[in-house]
Amino acid sequence: MTSRRDFLRVMGGTGTGLVLGLCLEPRVRAGEVAKTEFHPNVFLALRRDGTVRLTVPKTEMGQGVRTALPLVLAEEMDLDWARIEVVNAQPGPDFKSMQTGGSTSVSSTWLPLRRAGATAREMLKAAAAAQWKVGLEQCRTGNGFVLGPAGQKVGYGDLAEDAAKQPVPKDPPLKKAADYRLVGKPTLRFDGKAIVTGKAIFGLDVRRPGQRYAALLRCPVPGGQPRTWDAAKAMAVRGVQAVVQVPSGLAVVASSTWAAFKGRDALAATTSWDEGAAKDFSTAGLEARMRTALTGPAEEARKEGDPEQALEAASRRIEADYSFPYQAHATVEPMNAVVQLGSESAELWTGTQSPNHAQEQAAEALGFKPEQLKLNVALLGGGFGRRLGTDFSTEAAQVAKAAGGGPIQVVWDREDEFRHDLYHPATLHRLQAGLDAKGALSAWTHRVAGPAILRSWLSGQKSPAQASVETNGAADNPYAIPAMRVDFAEVEVPTPLGWWRGIEIVPNVFARECFLDEIAHAQGRDPLQVRLEFLGDRGLVKFGQDEADLRRLKKVLQVAAEKAGWGRKLPAGHGLGLACHAYDGRSYAAQVAEVSVVKGRLKVHKITCAVDCGPVVNPAGLQAQVEGGIVFGLSALFTQITWEKGRTVQTGYLDFPLLRLADTPVIETHVVVGSDTPTGIGEPPVPLPIPAVLNALFAATGKRIRTLPLLPESLA
Amino acid sequence: MTTHQLNVNGRNHSVDVDADTPLLWVLRDTLGLTGTKFGCGQGVCGACTVHLGGKAVKACQTSLQEAAGHAITTVEGLSKDGSHPVQKAWLAEDVAQCGYCQPGMIMSAAALLHHKPHPTDYDIDAAFADHVCRCGTYPRVRSAVKRAAGGAK
Repeated sequence: MTSRRDFLRVMGGTGTGLVLGLCLEPRVRAGEVAKTEFHPNVFLALRRDGTVRLTVPKTEMGQGVRTALPLVLAEEMDLDWARIEVVNAQPGPDFKSMQTGGSTSVSSTWLPLRRAGATAREMLKAAAAAQWKVGLEQCRTGNGFVLGPAGQKVGYGDLAEDAAKQPVPKDPPLKKAADYRLVGKPTLRFDGKAIVTGKAIFGLDVRRPGQRYAALLRCPVPGGQPRTWDAAKAMAVRGVQAVVQVPSGLAVVASSTWAAFKGRDALAATTSWDEGAAKDFSTAGLEARMRTALTGPAEEARKEGDPEQALEAASRRIEADYSFPYQAHATVEPMNAVVQLGSESAELWTGTQSPNHAQEQAAEALGFKPEQLKLNVALLGGGFGRRLGTDFSTEAAQVAKAAGGGPIQVVWDREDEFRHDLYHPATLHRLQAGLDAKGALSAWTHRVAGPAILRSWLSGQKSPAQASVETNGAADNPYAIPAMRVDFAEVEVPTPLGWWRGIEIVPNVFARECFLDEIAHAQGRDPLQVRLEFLGDRGLVKFGQDEADLRRLKKVLQVAAEKAGWGRKLPAGHGLGLACHAYDGRSYAAQVAEVSVVKGRLKVHKITCAVDCGPVVNPAGLQAQVEGGIVFGLSALFTQITWEKGRTVQTGYLDFPLLRLADTPVIETHVVVGSDTPTGIGEPPVPLPIPAVLNALFAATGKRIRTLPLLPESLA
Repeated sequence: MTTHQLNVNGRNHSVDVDADTPLLWVLRDTLGLTGTKFGCGQGVCGACTVHLGGKAVKACQTSLQEAAGHAITTVEGLSKDGSHPVQKAWLAEDVAQCGYCQPGMIMSAAALLHHKPHPTDYDIDAAFADHVCRCGTYPRVRSAVKRAAGGAK
């Protein structure tokens, strides 16, 4: 079976994978840079004044990499946190795979950054030791200084020049966890002050001299093309300078964003469309095809024993279907990019999770080699997987090429966001379980029917990893079941699809953890006890190439249950529900939700979460990621994208009821550290709020919700 | 084009733009004040919240006619150096994640506390009913408002 790790490699697309392709090893730079600065590797530049520039090779999108990764470097190098400057890396020879996703930023850079910091620290010590004519082992470092055996003390800045001349240690010693003074301590977000004063520059805030603005008139049906239009109507709008055609539609270039929007609206009234292959696509049609696919042929992702025979022989059989809708990313900052085109080179500013691919594809659109295009990664006003796509930056390059002239910023609006997202697709799930005479699980089948995100990502190509990717969260079912089948029945769709925070794990774990709750209740047993029993006393368990440590999963389940007061007497009308998951066998999470129904509306009072993602670099950042992941997951209980005549019904936030402050539960986070290697925390909390809340809703009301979104009428 | 007089962050500006241009785009494109964010253009996400005569308004839904003659404050003008109690509380509670929606949230919080120095939870719910934060900073937004009000935490 192809694993999630292979999937990450596939996501890399051009062979520069997300995890294994990282080119982050320290490299020594010689030449003039070293004369003024100590620049021992691509991550670090120490100036003579003692300030240090740290280069972050991952994209900041709110998950805190511009704080966490510098903390790792600063820890090993023993820097003064107050004297660092953080810059974003640029794709190129030094940074060949900057892709940010899959909750891998800390885990994939942890060792390279530590080695980079330790290398610099040892070279600074060597420079000081040479000055003082003492042994290297007699020198220590602390907060930006090297300290000598006789009380000598010299600032890093004063050593910069000498340090650059020192030989590069091959295997510098890494700090012991017990000696950490930055890693593991809550640290405020590096960009906090810039954000609260409005000075933080997101992609949409980029302003270049002479900048113009462009808005796209796109076919309301994805993939559709304009047939006829009258550019004169747009050109008549004051400020509009040009109307140019690009593959995604008609771009209206103007002196301001507002003029571009107005010009686009004027153009819309004159345009007729060839709506293309998606013009008849509808949610109703898709649902019918998914239902057919529940019983048709499928690709196997996991099989153990003989599930059909075991179901046949079971004392009791339980079956249920679960349904999850299309979802949008709905980042608050719409897609955007600025392209400044020269004759021999170009420059691009954008918020992207895929800087290397964005560079390659925009360069190609301009007829340049990647090295002719400088890409600047701006802050992202939310990523959530949307900005793994390069559609918007490539589009900006196409507009710049077609329109010519100075820098142009392409700005999407809210309707563009909803109508032309790279959607998370709908899925339909059929689960069957067999119980033996003692109530143990003897059989389990989980059919996932729906579109394959991976196929859309690979421009229509089917990947051998497809079934494995689309059953993530289902095929790595952690419960001990002697006979199991998990498979995927693909239903092709004409809409673009993409990666969304939590990816397929969200619907798959929703179905799995709710169904397990059904099994517990069918037996009249406690859902916590049933889970603990089904997890068993197993340790490391393999699922294909992935493996999970079920002791760690049990531990977070027990901690979450205990902290939430599982089994306590609840206020009238309240219910508790729980869910757990081993995310890619790397990070472990469990959540307990407490809910009630007030005047026909679901009220989520509290979610208690326990996580184990190994050692935590920044506990403040972890807590924020857990809170944010829970809010993101909970929102998906209520939101959906539906299709009629190839168009999304939803065009704005009013149609897409994301959680707001008033409906946000109290969130309590508990950390378990079950290994010495950090894994990841951005996605692991996301899949659990839906099943935890729905299981709690059942406990409170006896209503079992199997179809999302949860609509007011579902509770009637 | 018509010339419009605007007072933004204590400074008078003469801007030549079409009369139907929402205040948001005058701030961002004409005056270069990009702290006020574009989120939806539909008045429902709160990212463009500014103060107009001390009240929180959505700049994407505010016409120049409405804006003229009132003191307009954007996040850049809330304090010289990030020292407004709401900004300080925001930092202390480490509210921001991606940070994009936060200037709008901060402006709503400042307006709320100006009019109701000791808001209840219900007041806070109501003040942020029109704000979307996709990163999910809401629990800390509530804590920061309370901190700025001198209340709990």
